Formats: sequence, structure tokens, C-alpha cells
Amino acid sequence: MKQISSDFAPPLKLISPFFRFGVIFYALAMTALLFFTPDFHYAQMDIAGWVHLFLLGFVMMVIFGAMAQLVPVVLETGHAVVEVYYIIMPLLLIGSIVMVAGFWLAPALLPYGGLLVLVAMIIFAVENFATLRKSTLKSLTVDTVTWSNGYLLLGILTGFAIALGLAGEIGIHIDLMLKAHVYAVLGGYVVLTIMGLSLILIPMFSLAHGFEERAIKWAFKMVVSGVAIVFLAALTGLESGMYIGYLVTIIGIFFYLWQIYLIARLTVRKELDIWAKSMLFAYGSLMLSIVLGIVYFLNDKESILHASVWFLLMGFVASMITGHLYKIVPFLVWFERFAPLVGKQKVPMLHEMYSKEGASMFFWFSASGVILSGLGLLLEQDMMFKAGGSFLFAGALFLLMTMNKMLIYGKEETKGV
Amino acid sequence: MCDITKEAVFDAISMVIDPEVGFNLVEMGLIYDAIIDENCNVHVIMTLSTQGCPLHQMITQWVKEAVERIEGVGEVDVEVVWEPAWNISMADEHVKKALGGA
Repeated sequence: MKQISSDFAPPLKLISPFFRFGVIFYALAMTALLFFTPDFHYAQMDIAGWVHLFLLGFVMMVIFGAMAQLVPVVLETGHAVVEVYYIIMPLLLIGSIVMVAGFWLAPALLPYGGLLVLVAMIIFAVENFATLRKSTLKSLTVDTVTWSNGYLLLGILTGFAIALGLAGEIGIHIDLMLKAHVYAVLGGYVVLTIMGLSLILIPMFSLAHGFEERAIKWAFKMVVSGVAIVFLAALTGLESGMYIGYLVTIIGIFFYLWQIYLIARLTVRKELDIWAKSMLFAYGSLMLSIVLGIVYFLNDKESILHASVWFLLMGFVASMITGHLYKIVPFLVWFERFAPLVGKQKVPMLHEMYSKEGASMFFWFSASGVILSGLGLLLEQDMMFKAGGSFLFAGALFLLMTMNKMLIYGKEETKGV
Repeated sequence: MCDITKEAVFDAISMVIDPEVGFNLVEMGLIYDAIIDENCNVHVIMTLSTQGCPLHQMITQWVKEAVERIEGVGEVDVEVVWEPAWNISMADEHVKKALGGA
């Protein structure tokens, strides 16, 4: 029998602010949707502002919190310097706000916000690399963390160069740099990280065991290579290279989906709770996004690309994250307030710590909103997009309410414990 | 000679509940063995349902404390192992049924 090392999880008070602020940014991003029209281009400043509000404020904030918790657990070693997360959080928080203000109000603010975010992400990546060096483990997750952090650094460096370019500080080819930036951050960091984390979290919550991991290994290799090809091709302006990179990435994502199917087949827990519904919706959205992406490459119609990106961000990424929040936040609160009471008094189960009705309302409003707005983008129907936006806004209110309820659960009863 | 039985140790550990699934560790099949020596020192061999379990340290502490509540027990130590890996077939029938895996 092989013995494992002890637990190296960081203090939970350090992690919870990432989730608290992440949810607030999500609600702000959904509110902002009410003021958009769908005739956008990804280089447009107000859309860039929304994307950064969503990706930095919500996606990155929650992923950083999740990584702070999970990296030491999967690497079986303590953080190199766990205290840096106390610095990362405010830097990312303020940097995100300043960057969004830069996009929406005054471009001169962009380098300042960009610098704060750059520093936060460099600290995060360097700390992760230092923690990786401490670990003697060789696993797919370790490789995923290494590569995704490398791409994060490339993504943020290109992003900072764009911020300087937009503020008129340096002369660069913004359009090409933007493609490299978007792909390094979205494909290289967000998608690779979600792939790595989902391989741990989905079997953990579904109690699936004994599945083959060949597909995820191929998925990982293909996505890492695809992102590298697109990144280099974008920087050098080699359009054919970018198409090859897109193709390689898409094949990698098919392998990933196959891996998820293999895990799903061995799922023990059959309950269709908010997490399970969110996972189904997320993977359905990812498949739809890929199909739309392929159709776009065949007929070059911008609205199809918009819908594809929409289903990737709001259908896949957002649902993956919000679905997991209903597992992770109750755990954090339970750990802080109830774990010390185990054996002394009756403690709640995790699923009792959130309003199932509220979570259900969040899910159905949000899923309806994603579908409606996605169709609005695809069919270029302004009213449909806005109708979807209002559903998403309503869903965000339920997310805020249910999150708040989880975060204050047992606060009074356990005071002084 | 120690009169603490393996059953008594398992009974004590059955008070420890996994807050995620709502079942105790014994009915989940997570407790592999309990070795009791002549001085009533207990060595518990257990696993967790997943390697990335953030409750790892806490669950092992709860197991230790639960066994320490047995009258006359000596030193208690808990060893967490990954092999053999846990799977749902190790759980009690009612757990399998409740989780939908029966």
C-alpha cells in the first residue's frame, strides 16, 4: 500500500475573498449586458471592457481562488509562499476595475490597470512555478499547471503591450497582438486550466473511478500545441499557421470531450443537482461552440463566430465555474464554521447549505439567457440578444442571493467557535 | 491483553460522516482495516473517495478522535492509502442505492 503525504491546503480565509468578489464581478458583467447591442467586433472598446470585466473579474478571480486551494492538494506539497495570495487578490481586484474603467471611460487608465493585473498574474505564475519546483510528482495535472501558467505569462505580457499600444505609449500591430493575447489567455490558460481542474473535480464530485486517461493526455498535447501554433502565427501574421493551430486545438477539445464522456459513463452519483445540470449545460455549450466555430471557418460569417465565442464563454466557461461554486463555497463555509464542531454537535451536510430553489432559478434563468442571447447573436436579432441579457441579469441576482445565503450560513450560531 | 475489537473501532469511526455525500466513512467503505495491538494501540488504514480531497487532513483527524473516544484505547494513528483505490463497490448496498450506483 502506498502512503500519501499530508494535507497542504492553504488557510480558507485566504481563498474565500476570491469567490466573493468573483460572484460580484459576474453580477456586474451580467448587468452590463443590458446595455450592449450585438453588432460588435472583438476589438471594440466597450466589448473589450465587458470581456475583461467577465474574464478578469469573474473567471480569473474564481480560478485563482480554486488554484490556491487545489494546487497544493494535487501537487502534494505546500505553497512556496502562500501569503502572496493576500497580495494577488487586491491587485487583481483593483487592476480589473481600473482596466474596465480604461476600456469604458478613459483609455489612459489601461496601462495602470494592466500593470496591476500584470503584477498580480506574474506573482501568481511565479508562485505556482516555485510550488511546482517543490513537488516531486510527475502527473498530467502537474504538466497542465506548468503549461497553463506559461501561457498566462505570455497572455498577460501581450495584453500589457496592447494596453501600452492603446494608450499611445508604444507602436505595435494591435490586431495581431490581440489575437495572440486572446488565444494565450483563453485557450492557453482558461481552457487548459479548466481541463486540468475538471479532471480532478468532476470525478471527485461524481465519484467516478477507474477511467482511462489516454484521451485527456492527447487532449492536453493537442491543446498545448494548438495554442503555441496560433500564438506564434498571430505574432508573425502567418494566417495559414493560425488555421492549423485552430484545427489542432479543436481536435484536442474533441479528445477532452471524449474523456469527459468516459468519466460520465462511470459516474456513481446520479442526482441531477445544480452542479450536474451546470456540467451538462457547459459541455453541451462547448460542443455547440465548436460546431459553430467549424461552420464559421467554412462560410466566414461574423455572426456565427460571435455566437461560437458566446457559447464558449457564457455557456461553457461560466457554467463550469458557477456550477462548481455551488460545491466549493458551501465547503469553504462549512470548513470555517462547522468543521470544528464535528463530533460535538450536529453539523449540516454541504447540500443543505444553499437554497436549492434559488440555485435552480439561477440555473434556468441563466441557461435560458445564454441560449436566447446566443441565438440573438447568431440570427443578428437585437431584441433576442437583449431578452437573453435580461434573463442572465435575473439569473445573476439569484446567484448573488444564493451565494450570500451560503456565505452567511451559520454565521450567528457558530460565532465565537 | 486488549479487549477492544475491530468492530468497536469500526463502530466508533461510523460516527464520522462525509459532509459531501452524507454517509459515514464505514458505510462508504473507506475504512480498510483497524489493527489493534496487545496494548490497545490502534492503527487505522483508510482511504478517501478522491486523492484531491481538501478535507483529507480533517477527516483523518476526525477518525483519530473518534477512535480515541473508545474507553481504554492507547495510541491511535491513521494511515491514508490510495491502493487499493476506492470504488463504489466497496460501499454498503444502501449507499450504492442512494447514490444511484446500485
